[in-house]
Amino acid sequence: MALTRRSWLRMTGAAGLASVHSRLLAGFEDWFQPASSAPGEQVLITACGICDSACAIRATVQDGVVRFLEGLPGDFQGQGKLCGKGAAGAGFLYDPDRLKYPMKRTNPRKGPNEDPGFVRISWQEALDTIADRIRSYKSRHGAESLLFVTRPAPDLWVRFMRALGVVNRVDHRDECFQSDMVVQRYTTGGKSWGNDFENSRYILLFGFDMVTKTKLAYAHGVLAAKQRGARIVVFNPEFNTQARLADEWYPIRPGSDLAVALAMIHVIVNENLFNQEFVDQFTNFRQYEKEIRAHFAHYTPEWAEGLSDVPAEAIRRIAREFATQGPGIVPMHKKTLAANYMNATQLAHAVSILNILAGTVDRPGGRYFPRTIPIPGVDAVYPPPAYPRPEGRRVDGADKLPLVREVDSGSFSTLADGMLNKYPGMIKFAFFNMYTLLAFPLPAQMEEALRRVEFTVVMDTLPTDTALLADIVLPSVTYLEAADLVPREYWAKTPQVVVRQPVVPAMFETRSIGWVAIELGKRLAPEYFRTPTGEWISPAALLDEKVKRAGLGSSFAEFRSVGIHTRQQPFTPRTTFATPSGKCQIYVPEFAARGYDPLPVWKPKAEQPSPEHPYYYLTFIPAIHRRNSTQNNPILHEMMPTNAAIISRTLADRLGVREGQMVRIRSRVGAIELPAHITETLRPDCVMVAHGFGHRSRMLSLAGGQGVRDGDLIPSRAIEEFVAAGNFGGAACIMDAVVNIEPL
Amino acid sequence: MKGPYGWLFDPNRCIECRACEAACKQWNGVPTGVNIRYRRVYTWEAGAWPAVSVVAISSACNHCENPLCARACPVKAITRRSDGLVLVNRDRCVGCGICYEFCPFGAPQYDPKTRRMEKCTMCADRIDQGLEPACSALCPTGALRWGPWDEIRGRGPAWIPGYPVPYATLPRIRFVTTPARP
Repeated sequence: MALTRRSWLRMTGAAGLASVHSRLLAGFEDWFQPASSAPGEQVLITACGICDSACAIRATVQDGVVRFLEGLPGDFQGQGKLCGKGAAGAGFLYDPDRLKYPMKRTNPRKGPNEDPGFVRISWQEALDTIADRIRSYKSRHGAESLLFVTRPAPDLWVRFMRALGVVNRVDHRDECFQSDMVVQRYTTGGKSWGNDFENSRYILLFGFDMVTKTKLAYAHGVLAAKQRGARIVVFNPEFNTQARLADEWYPIRPGSDLAVALAMIHVIVNENLFNQEFVDQFTNFRQYEKEIRAHFAHYTPEWAEGLSDVPAEAIRRIAREFATQGPGIVPMHKKTLAANYMNATQLAHAVSILNILAGTVDRPGGRYFPRTIPIPGVDAVYPPPAYPRPEGRRVDGADKLPLVREVDSGSFSTLADGMLNKYPGMIKFAFFNMYTLLAFPLPAQMEEALRRVEFTVVMDTLPTDTALLADIVLPSVTYLEAADLVPREYWAKTPQVVVRQPVVPAMFETRSIGWVAIELGKRLAPEYFRTPTGEWISPAALLDEKVKRAGLGSSFAEFRSVGIHTRQQPFTPRTTFATPSGKCQIYVPEFAARGYDPLPVWKPKAEQPSPEHPYYYLTFIPAIHRRNSTQNNPILHEMMPTNAAIISRTLADRLGVREGQMVRIRSRVGAIELPAHITETLRPDCVMVAHGFGHRSRMLSLAGGQGVRDGDLIPSRAIEEFVAAGNFGGAACIMDAVVNIEPL
Repeated sequence: MKGPYGWLFDPNRCIECRACEAACKQWNGVPTGVNIRYRRVYTWEAGAWPAVSVVAISSACNHCENPLCARACPVKAITRRSDGLVLVNRDRCVGCGICYEFCPFGAPQYDPKTRRMEKCTMCADRIDQGLEPACSALCPTGALRWGPWDEIRGRGPAWIPGYPVPYATLPRIRFVTTPARP
């Protein structure tokens, strides 16, 4: 049943019920109280939680029900606006499918067609059971038998995992920007997502649809740059939204972005067009000049043309313009199209070098390091006893990629291989927080791996496909019911913090992951969850302390009435960089020391079209969905309920496919069947499918059974493939498949 | 209340985030799942690969100066307010759908639950409170703007390729066609 605002208003009764629960559990969850649940209208400031951009929200609450969400003027991320996902945010809060209470499984059989037979249990029982399981597996099989598929956040949860000595925590960043994180650490020494588009004069975009990914700070920046006459060049197999905004667009061959980037470095180095002053002062160019010049000598534009279909003279001209008509910027973030082939680590390195040669690292118009107001974590507020040394084997094999481990990351794409083949039976216990099977390459294989785990806990807002495999499910709050302090990181030239506060009481018996950390911590590692005075850590007191120490006010209650804090300070470009040498490193000796390429070398993507699989398989995330977490939102579902096989008119004619006709796409690992959508905007050798669809859970009344899983065609990997291919950043290769297509 | 009001749309700034659509649904409590959308964003492709062009347009009721929908309504359920807003009176509407047939933009839509026609009110309730409509208020890039018609009418053409030809309805929409350049 679809949810409307009318039914939300009818649910005022339900909201009243929830507040009764909150009162009963007040000591239990003392921070989940909105400022007031009184009748009438109130306006509250909070931070969006759909994507990490976390745009500030001005929420209008009418008689305890969220009436309207809009942007907050003065916020740097959204610049006073929200995107379609953010505007539809109340649909997450009032989704009737939400997980409402802790539940346990009564049907021991786990599988796609098994009803878990969930029955409601108390939080007490859920937490006691989980703690018993963790204690028992850990004592019998060691910490390596525990798998946590969660982000490295929030701080309380991290403390819980560290107190347990958890070895196997993994999240999705290998499908996203992990290879760039690894590369940035050694080339510029910082986070990679600050982009000063608005002051840039020349923007080069490889892949990733920067504007429609609706990190609004990026969209605003690119549009502002365009308004000021900056030149925008896009390399993408699809004529997408950012291509439409660009001055030039090149339908590049998938996986060949690296060749173009290398050829541009060749031109800039060969013709000495780099920013002399920056390069001499702040980089290791001169120290390794001989190696660098020799290395790039043979990456000519003519060579790149043969690989990329981008004309050599265009590469040469764009490289010259980029270097001399700057400030120029090449952003590198997120997965779409460019970032996730087997050669993505090399691409990240090449792109980083382009930014360094342009002399715009942490300079106006370039990629800069976020200026933030540091928010102390729980370890700073309440210093913990020494954490145990994590001991045991990495199930995803990420220990074979030491630079990935340095950034505390891992590998979704090799997790199933580790669980099923490398270390079968090692993982006894799995805890998933807000990740579904759809997030993995080959979800069916991950499902198989998870079925063999003895005990699985899933914490989520919705009964996802993963939740259906759980032994215990825990109901999570949405971001509109949570409390936190959120520094701005996507537009962070001036430090700013926004509050996240519950705009309505937490619905039903939902809780936050931070609260679960404390409750499990009390049972399993109590010494880590006491304050210096011996009381249990309280989330409310912790937040108060964070507010005070960050200089935001005297208490969380005070700060949430203000909502936003900006620290005016001039932007002072960095003169030393957080790399081992303190300089921007074009040539990375640390890579060489580990046996990796110290300079980016051309490597093809892993899979090339063949007579059997003649087409490139591309996946994308549409602007109105965030990965696989928004498809059950009634407003967003209505806008885009399902996915299609997007193919070009040329290809459709060749195959004899009509619009809407079912086609079967097959890769070496699987097949999907879905309707064709014919366009003139895609290379004829590609087929493109939106990510995020194909939820199987019948408990998702809107998203369940809609569309197909793009991941069914994407091979999972063995870690050795990454090592052999020099993919030392561990990019998950989710764009690397090749397929064939047949009409049905 | 002053008026009339109109829309100004700049396809060169639309990033298809569909905040306008979502805000409209949320503010007006438009039912989901029955294909009623007061406002919708769509794209229109022209040309052939690789010389292709795409335009994204956000479209709703244009509160026309000459609303054929109102003229066609057999029960006079569609009226024009003094400030130019063209509104459906649901107490009078019999759900015959003739207004839809006469609207170049397909703005009036049938709600199978209430058996009435519904459409964009230009957020009349917000205008009455001195606020701008929800859609343009949320548009992140300024692609969709709203304001007094006197300020908008001279800003560009009433039609661009990819948009329905308005014939004689005199829609209160204009398109920015000059590229976003200083």
